[in-house]
Amino acid sequence: MNRAILRISLACLVLFALLLLNVNYVQGFETTKLADEPHNVRVFDAQFTYQRGAILAGGDGTEVKIADSRLIKGTDVYQRYYPDGKIYAPVTGYDTIYGKSGIEQAENSLLAGTDPRLTVHNFTALLTGKQKQGAAVDLTISPAAQTAAYTALTNDGGHAAAVVAIQPSTGAILALASYPTFNPNALTTFNGTQFDKIDNQLLRDPAQPLLNRATQETYPPGSSFKIITSSAAFSTGKVANPSTLVPAPTVLTLPNGNHLINDGGETCFDGNPQIIQAFYQSCNTAFGALGIKLTAPVLRNYSSQFGMNKPLSIPLPVVPSVLPEVKGWTDPSLTAFSAIGQFNDAVTPLQEAMFSAAIANHGTLQYPYLVQQVVGPGLSTIERAQPATLSQAVSPTVAGYVQSMMYQVTHNPGGTAYATAGPQATGGITIDGKTGTAQNGISNGNLNDAVFTCFVPGTNGSASPIAVGVIVQGGGFGADAAAPIAVQVIKAYLGAHS
Amino acid sequence: MLLFAVAVVLLAYIAASLGLRGKLPSGLPGYIVVFALIMVGAHVAVRRFAPYADPLLLPLAALLNGLGIVMIYRLQESGRQGNPGNLVSPVMPTSTTLYQLVFTGVGIVGLVLVLALISEARVLQRYTYTLGAVGLLLLAIPAVLPASHSAVNGAKVWIIFGGLSVQPGEFARLALAVFFAGYLVSKRDVLALAGRHVLGIDLPRARDLGPVLIAWAASLLILIFETDIGQSALFFGLFVVMLYIATQRTSWLLIGVGLFLAGTFITANLSSHVMERFTIWLHPFQGSNPLNSSFQLVQGIEGMAYGGLFGTGLGHGQPYFTPLVQSDFIFTAFGEELGLVGVMALLLVFGLLVQRGLRAALAVKDPFSKLLAGGLSFVLGLQIFVIVGGVTGLIPLTGVTTPFLSQGGSSLVASWILVGVLIRISDSARKPAPQPIQDEGMTQVVRAA
Repeated sequence: MNRAILRISLACLVLFALLLLNVNYVQGFETTKLADEPHNVRVFDAQFTYQRGAILAGGDGTEVKIADSRLIKGTDVYQRYYPDGKIYAPVTGYDTIYGKSGIEQAENSLLAGTDPRLTVHNFTALLTGKQKQGAAVDLTISPAAQTAAYTALTNDGGHAAAVVAIQPSTGAILALASYPTFNPNALTTFNGTQFDKIDNQLLRDPAQPLLNRATQETYPPGSSFKIITSSAAFSTGKVANPSTLVPAPTVLTLPNGNHLINDGGETCFDGNPQIIQAFYQSCNTAFGALGIKLTAPVLRNYSSQFGMNKPLSIPLPVVPSVLPEVKGWTDPSLTAFSAIGQFNDAVTPLQEAMFSAAIANHGTLQYPYLVQQVVGPGLSTIERAQPATLSQAVSPTVAGYVQSMMYQVTHNPGGTAYATAGPQATGGITIDGKTGTAQNGISNGNLNDAVFTCFVPGTNGSASPIAVGVIVQGGGFGADAAAPIAVQVIKAYLGAHS
Repeated sequence: MLLFAVAVVLLAYIAASLGLRGKLPSGLPGYIVVFALIMVGAHVAVRRFAPYADPLLLPLAALLNGLGIVMIYRLQESGRQGNPGNLVSPVMPTSTTLYQLVFTGVGIVGLVLVLALISEARVLQRYTYTLGAVGLLLLAIPAVLPASHSAVNGAKVWIIFGGLSVQPGEFARLALAVFFAGYLVSKRDVLALAGRHVLGIDLPRARDLGPVLIAWAASLLILIFETDIGQSALFFGLFVVMLYIATQRTSWLLIGVGLFLAGTFITANLSSHVMERFTIWLHPFQGSNPLNSSFQLVQGIEGMAYGGLFGTGLGHGQPYFTPLVQSDFIFTAFGEELGLVGVMALLLVFGLLVQRGLRAALAVKDPFSKLLAGGLSFVLGLQIFVIVGGVTGLIPLTGVTTPFLSQGGSSLVASWILVGVLIRISDSARKPAPQPIQDEGMTQVVRAA
């Protein structure tokens, strides 16, 4: 019988080996995955018992805490606190008992200290009896620009609007504001009933304060899309340079018999202007005709070069800005509208900033990002932003052509934004831009959205410091409603920076 | 070794108290001194009645028993007297630890009685059929009792009268192991008779399949009437393995495993209870399962994962989130608070206990003792595999107790009796052969220099 007993004892060893392997799997390899399971009550309970990392805004050198964890007196529970909650809400998001958003969500593993890169630190803390602590996240946001953006949006007559500012040479996001917004401090309560009440209020509010319009909502770009159409025209050689003459009839008859007219039915110079003239006066017929000549796939291709047609992670999720391939989208009669930022074109305010950022950075579009660095509890830098190129949108020559045209928009007395973003309005700051006044709604029944995209060009070989995109929903003319917001953000940023 | 085991238990107890409320336990002299005295008593009895016994069996079991008491104490104190956490469950009053300690004492009395009354395991052979009948009776009682006197959490495996509840299956397993050993020793030659030889396997004759089929049917009946997959797996596994040890024929193993799989498959399709166990096992995290059917399993596994490599420390975790953490799921509480390191140590202690039992089976000469020790050791190992594998998601979860660790008197007492039998057999195995009687006057020992 001994042979059988030996075999049985071997079988027992195998059973125990299986158990050992399985506990190793559960407790050694699967811990992170299991910790991320929804409804994990232990992780849920633990998250408030130690100090979550702070979120800081420091894009212009002055570091400001915009989210912090404070010990509630008389307890061992930490509560989240947002010192300037409403100003930074579109960036920080919220951290509540029931969910997170914004940077709180995107960088949660680092803020909460569960990221594998913090394991060593946590282990040392365990051994030395110190408390576990999350890492601090430093954002690229400039407090001056962000505050100016928030103030400008708040004082804009109550229109829903958003503004994004980018440093063109790196892609660092300097401001990202959305209006109407909310106060995240109202959501940090530990009282579930109270939370539900406030959360329901916010969710049911028709003004949608929780919606981050800068990254989560798309609007027709209107005439600001002429930057893409021009870039495509120069790059493909269909138009040689800004002085090249292009046909710009008062009424453009489309292949399907419909008509495309200029804003207000105006003429465009003598009907055969230089493209630079058509650009600064924003003649629809010139660019509609150019669009037909370029064809829809080429336009779409260049829109992709400028970062459209794909989702981004900054690391907040960004919905794709699109020139969509819907049924019949290559019809030239529709392409004429696509070329002037109508038909199905839809972009985020972030995308508007990226249009200008690409031109400002000599055609190179940098991937936009919000996190400058992550600093561990031991003050060691865990992660530092590595600026990366998203695409070479156009050649430096073409970028120069487009820049010269955007300069005329604000500096030629006939330019659409001469009055609101020209030298008189900016107090001497040079801003190159493009306006857009986008019709939208079914049969264009809604109020026009005001769009403005612009940048401050670099001087004497220095890089362009800032590019801004603004969309004001139902704001009317881009030059009147959107451009002043961009100007205020730029003034505040340059003021704090020089 | 025993001192070491007691010392580990003492330190764990202090750690649990510090972890719970940051100060030394108030009942320190009470619980731990009683536990130490019980174990010293057991040690003295072993020295007295089984002087050649394997010296590891008692300390290993004592260590597990002691750690179990510490964990039960820690769970009992959760949410009480300002300690962090929630109350574990309404069936865990403040007397739980005391009861567990009392049953440790009862278990040790059982062990001492086994050692004192049974001088050689093979005397049990005389009671083969008596114990067989007792075993079947014990198994059958809960099935025929009304649910109010036999069912807890869906499993009809109890005898409940007044405040007292006994899980007769735990003792039935021991009685049946004796019965199987006696029966198989007398019948093993018949069962081992060569039947046909197919594909390199000796198939038994059809009429010799009888006992296996009866055992299989009995285990299926347990499964159906008592809805207890774990108990039926242990029961059937015990029989098949003892049959295999007795006959040394692989075909019995294959037939046994095949029959068990077929039986499980059939019942899984007939019984929603059994089917649900499979669904929970295969898809614990799917959809709303973590909130409903697989809540317990998911809580246990997430607790273990939360403990990670080194655990939260005794008293610092949140094992109270897992339902029945004091009984079926106590292993996950160890995983959470002692970490991977702690449960690996526990598994090694368990493994060592099983292997020492098998070692005794190998060394003992008398075939009845051999078979009994082999069967008991294996079923102990299988029980650990079934419950630990179940709560860690390796196999479908079935409610059997974790030997020595789980809260519950029946399992604890039965486990101690099992260890008592193993100690007795190991003593027989290691006892030096009696010296031939020598007439010192006649024989001169010549020593070659």
